[in-house]
Amino acid sequence: MKNILLILLTGSLLSVNAQIETPAPKQTKKIMLLNGVAHLGNGKIIQNSAIAFEDGKLTIVANAAAIKIDFSQFDTVINIPNKHVYPGIIAPNSTLGLTEIGAVRMTHDYSEYGMFKPHVRSIIAYNTESKITTTVRSNGILLAQATPRSGAISGTSSIVQFDAWNWEDAVYKKDDGVHLNWSGMFSRWNGKKNKEYDKSVTKLNDFFTNALAYSKTADYPEKNLRFEAMRGVFNGEKTLYIHANFVKEITEAINFSKKHKVSKMVIVGGYDAWMVADMLKENKVAVILKRVHSLPQRQEDDVYLPYKLPHMLFDAGVLFCLENSGDMEAMGTRNLPFYAGTAAAYGLDKEEALKLITLNTAKILGIDKTTGSLEVGKDATLFISNGDALDMRSNDVIGAFIQGRHIDIDNHQKKLYRKYSGKYTDQ
Amino acid sequence: MKKIILFIFIISSVAVSAQETFNVNGTHDKNHNFYAFTNATIHTNYLTTIENATLLIKDGKIIAVAEKIDLPANTVVFDMKNKHIYPSLIDVYSDYGIAKAAKSKTRNWTRQAKTNNKGAFNWNQAIKPEVEAGKLFKVDNKKAEELRKLGFGTVLTHQHDGIMRGTSALVTLGNDQANAVMLKDNVANHLSFNKGTSTQSYPGSLMGMIALIRQTYYDVDWLFNNKQVDEYNISLNSIIDNWKLPQIFEANDKLSILRADKVGDEFEMQYIFKGKGDEYQRIKEIKATGGKLILPVNFPKAYEVSDPYNSLIVSYSDVKNWELAPYNLGIVASNEIDFSITTSDLKDKKVFFKNLRKAIKSGLSEQDALKALTYSPATFINEYDRIGSLAQGKLANFIITSENLFAEKNIIHENWIRGKQHIISDYNIIDVRGNYSLNLGEKVYDLKVKGEPKKLKGSIQIIGTKDNKPDTSKVSVSIKVLKNSISLTFNPKDDFEKGTVRLSGTVTNNAAIWDGNGQLSNGNWIKWTAIKGKKGKDDDKKKKKESKVDSLVVPEIQYPNMAYGFDSLPKAETMLIKGATVWTNEAEGIMKNADVIIHNGKIQAVGRNLSFEGAKIIDGKGKHLSSGIIDEHSHIAISRGVNECTQSVTAEVSIADVVNSDDVNIYRQLAGGVTASQLLHGSCNPVGGQSALIKLKWGSSPEEMKIKDTDGFIKFALGENVKRAGGTSRFPQTRMGVEQVYYDAFIRAKEYQAKWDAFAAIPEKDRENTPAPRIDLEMETLNEIINKERFISCHSYQQGEINMLMHVADSMGFRVNTFTHILEGYKVADKMKAHGVGGSTFSDWWAYKFEVNDAIPYNGAIMHNQGVTVAYNSDDAEMGRRLNQEAAKAVKYGGVSEEEALKFVTLNPAKLLHLDHKMGSIKVGKDADVVLWSDNPLSIYAKVEKTIIDGAVYFDIEEDAKRQKENQKEKARIIEKMISAKKGGAKTQAPNGKKPKLYHCDTVGE
Repeated sequence: MKNILLILLTGSLLSVNAQIETPAPKQTKKIMLLNGVAHLGNGKIIQNSAIAFEDGKLTIVANAAAIKIDFSQFDTVINIPNKHVYPGIIAPNSTLGLTEIGAVRMTHDYSEYGMFKPHVRSIIAYNTESKITTTVRSNGILLAQATPRSGAISGTSSIVQFDAWNWEDAVYKKDDGVHLNWSGMFSRWNGKKNKEYDKSVTKLNDFFTNALAYSKTADYPEKNLRFEAMRGVFNGEKTLYIHANFVKEITEAINFSKKHKVSKMVIVGGYDAWMVADMLKENKVAVILKRVHSLPQRQEDDVYLPYKLPHMLFDAGVLFCLENSGDMEAMGTRNLPFYAGTAAAYGLDKEEALKLITLNTAKILGIDKTTGSLEVGKDATLFISNGDALDMRSNDVIGAFIQGRHIDIDNHQKKLYRKYSGKYTDQ
Repeated sequence: MKKIILFIFIISSVAVSAQETFNVNGTHDKNHNFYAFTNATIHTNYLTTIENATLLIKDGKIIAVAEKIDLPANTVVFDMKNKHIYPSLIDVYSDYGIAKAAKSKTRNWTRQAKTNNKGAFNWNQAIKPEVEAGKLFKVDNKKAEELRKLGFGTVLTHQHDGIMRGTSALVTLGNDQANAVMLKDNVANHLSFNKGTSTQSYPGSLMGMIALIRQTYYDVDWLFNNKQVDEYNISLNSIIDNWKLPQIFEANDKLSILRADKVGDEFEMQYIFKGKGDEYQRIKEIKATGGKLILPVNFPKAYEVSDPYNSLIVSYSDVKNWELAPYNLGIVASNEIDFSITTSDLKDKKVFFKNLRKAIKSGLSEQDALKALTYSPATFINEYDRIGSLAQGKLANFIITSENLFAEKNIIHENWIRGKQHIISDYNIIDVRGNYSLNLGEKVYDLKVKGEPKKLKGSIQIIGTKDNKPDTSKVSVSIKVLKNSISLTFNPKDDFEKGTVRLSGTVTNNAAIWDGNGQLSNGNWIKWTAIKGKKGKDDDKKKKKESKVDSLVVPEIQYPNMAYGFDSLPKAETMLIKGATVWTNEAEGIMKNADVIIHNGKIQAVGRNLSFEGAKIIDGKGKHLSSGIIDEHSHIAISRGVNECTQSVTAEVSIADVVNSDDVNIYRQLAGGVTASQLLHGSCNPVGGQSALIKLKWGSSPEEMKIKDTDGFIKFALGENVKRAGGTSRFPQTRMGVEQVYYDAFIRAKEYQAKWDAFAAIPEKDRENTPAPRIDLEMETLNEIINKERFISCHSYQQGEINMLMHVADSMGFRVNTFTHILEGYKVADKMKAHGVGGSTFSDWWAYKFEVNDAIPYNGAIMHNQGVTVAYNSDDAEMGRRLNQEAAKAVKYGGVSEEEALKFVTLNPAKLLHLDHKMGSIKVGKDADVVLWSDNPLSIYAKVEKTIIDGAVYFDIEEDAKRQKENQKEKARIIEKMISAKKGGAKTQAPNGKKPKLYHCDTVGE
């Protein structure tokens, strides 16, 4: 018990482990985290909590003072007064594991050739040895939706957890959804009307019409891999993620998926989603909201609009979560908790803000039955921070568990820090 | 009177044909008759009008203009009753008759270091001062006619190509031998900020063009003053030859006018500026240039905004400019700036008068309009003795109009050029348009005639029966008029005539009566008459629609004229901030419950329980006050290119030449507490360009934003960007090469200085036979570095190259001031400390390039712990507005204290920029550049409430909310106006909204 306590609280900095971070073994011991401030991820907070888990699942999440605890039941009881416990943060619409170095094309595995490629699956390229991922999980992000990019339909994403030997054991939800990049009505480069818009939507219509017809036949004699990959979009197995930001494109995307009998659709981006909040609610369309730390899209927009959008969508009653695509997206994923922090600075309750990177994300990705919040029966995927994890001053992750496994939160960068700090202190 | 007549003969005997030297085929056909235009309203110049006057011309020149002139016997007289005569208009910004410069057919994908312009010309292909429009000119009657129709008689034409474009020629718009058309060549010299067809890589940015112009002037100066120089350079000689000519600079936006003027001032050159039409946005500064303006009447079309979502695409500034653009000429005139008007930017020249009338409705007086089309252009090119008014001895270039030139109904009848008549719209033509009753024997029809005088459209109304049913159909009538003869053909298909009616006759009585004979389909002849009735109703209807909309009240201009622009610039206030937590960045540390007094733009006092009479009290309770954030590495507020990528060493270029005060990111960063920034050149080349240090004084001009009396700075760059920029053919391609670029540059710089030193050592009297060295701006700048007058901020990543540059500096006798980015600084922090260089880094960026694979977020902390001055910078418009959060990451990654962490974005960058004597801390006497935060500035929950620069509030969170609402209302108001303009028949354009480009270090191109 003492061992673990030591490792947890100081391990990340003191362990002079020169090895590459190694996946943790399956949880065998019953663990209790005692007296920490538990942020459940569902909007609730327990100031003095008792959190227990065994076999990778949470067995107790309660006010430590309000329940009777039989400590003999646990192999390890870790006392964490004044520390904060959070459910593992989930990064949707992410290229983590699919890219390593921005300027080196050969390290990119997110953008396949072609326009319509739902059959292309990100999980195959997902690299469990990515150096970037280890720097991200040491800020509390423990799951991600590995998402392909480019083309009209970029491919099929999968949800992964960050403690694995190989993509097969990284999979949390395989092939969770197909990603469609809605064509812009106006050029991103010169702001002029996109003359190809009509044509590209027609092509998309054609593709979906045929894919739907194809899906009606269970065992098609001559296989079309693209259409095969689309079956899930119509039968409820896969979510259709439509990436769109401009209000008219969002509207078109919603009508498009209704027309094609898509079972579940989510808007990714959604800069203008607040303008059509009613339509989103009416059609039960959730939003994975564009990076909070970004510039306003229009000259006259509120200078803080991207900071305020979470509060606006919350007030409008839309189900949404936060994401980090854009420039330097993979390495920047470690700042995801701070986007929630900014959402809180600009009007949202802190626990509501936390939901945007935990439970709401899990709901939208369809994994909320097993993760996304600290609730009995769910995975023990969580982390402990010395302070408020949503603020960069105090986000200091001292321990993390994925499905009960106590993971190594060391990384390449911490190692270099130790190495070169040593250079000067030893000199 | 006799005197006049006498004088006339003297002139006429001197007159010589414009093509005297040419052979004539057949009988000579000379005509020395006088032409008199009598009873006219003559506008002799823009100020003077003589009623009922006579204009007398002969041999292409004006003999006399007066109320009464005794006409010689051999005079052809034209009665100009009810007509006006104006001097013909002049456009001094034309490319009439000049073939477009040939474009290279194949696109140049690789770097082109040398000019393709073979010959003894300038080294740079875009410098073509030797081009003479006079030698390129060919008469082009089709183009000439287009301008003649608008009343123009003379244009100054040049080849619109390149940065230095050569000279222009003054030509009339006559349809004649070129010799009879050209009045003068080499009239003015022309420049622009546009490379045109040049395929040479350099310059690849606006700042490069400015540097090139500067260097070229220095070269000219050198050649001019040193006759012994061996180089023969036709281009530079042309500049010398044409130095005294009027210099016309196509600046093509308000800020570029200021930029060009600044260069001109350095060489005692006053340009005439060709503008774009947005001068009203910086009118005070433009007036201060002292330059005359040539301005277009090219107003933006209204945007198609009927779809409210589509209207989101159109930016606030474009909407504002649509409304204000027609006011530009009036505003320029009322500021007493000399200007002329050009048709050059109009794609469709036919809208010239329509737009001009719009400008007149928007505050331009008719007198100023006429002045800008006659007197001003003539005087700009010193040709008022020949053109620009109607006076004895001047060219007989004039127009005859039906009314006042600017009147809606005005028709330009004739355009006389050098005494030759060009009929535009014949006033003798009989206008038969109107309603008539047409009588064919007993039969009467109602006839309507519409259309253009040369393209008439007639119709008759049938009143009768057809197939035993009432018939009221319309039948079209073909009408042809030739002089006084008229013929009509139509096919009524009624009871009267089943076939065709053909009529021929004469128009008399001022077109009121037509009569003659006609033939019916049965061959019978018939007498017919048409008698004009009342005016149609249609004409009146149209008039009602127009009017209103335009107003003489100028809509509000904002500074800058875009969203969040100020109505008036903020002024320094006296303020007392009470009871705040003050992060002093001084020995006092973080003072709780402290007061700060701001007065005269400075920090007046810091302490507790302070008071100051008349000070505005700001409650700081629960709030934090810090120094303004300073961004050591920013690329906002820059026009047309952040990189001059085309050469390995471009020390001659400067961001200070291209500061853009119209970047909304200035305001957005104020909203993030930033008060000052170093605007850096990009990282394309080992030696980049010079920096601009600015305060984020939103609304001010670029010059006002620049911080006065600062040390100079320059960008250097190492690593991958340098290697890959400029394609695969530019040296260096490796870190090995980068080192050699530096040694080469600095050794050359030292040799250059030695040359000058040697020259300076020659006694004045002995210098005559020794040419002076040539001023080389690149070398001058490098010597500033060696002489510690300019300081390096070097883009750098890997420890090896960092080490290398420190060695280069040490061996060359200077110090590197700052390594910027410096993501491996932690590996060589001890060496950096020893060299005395600071590190301005990112908090947590990495993995975007191979060379940043070892970047760690603990970098800042390690360097700081080793005693290196550490700053966190943005290099990014987005991150620039939350640098306080980036500073907080120094707490997270490496445990830097909060007090020291905030210095990473305040005091430390001030030190690195040598500004810490007046910025970077809250200390008595320093500039009052402070930020009031709602919370601990390092907290993610902190919001900026006020950003104060030099004691003036540039951002206030409440004002911001108000302004946002006002902007919304203002945009809606103008959109409403656009919609009614569209209803009134105005042409529209599809919504579009080009977003300004966001620059990073490695952004290539404009």
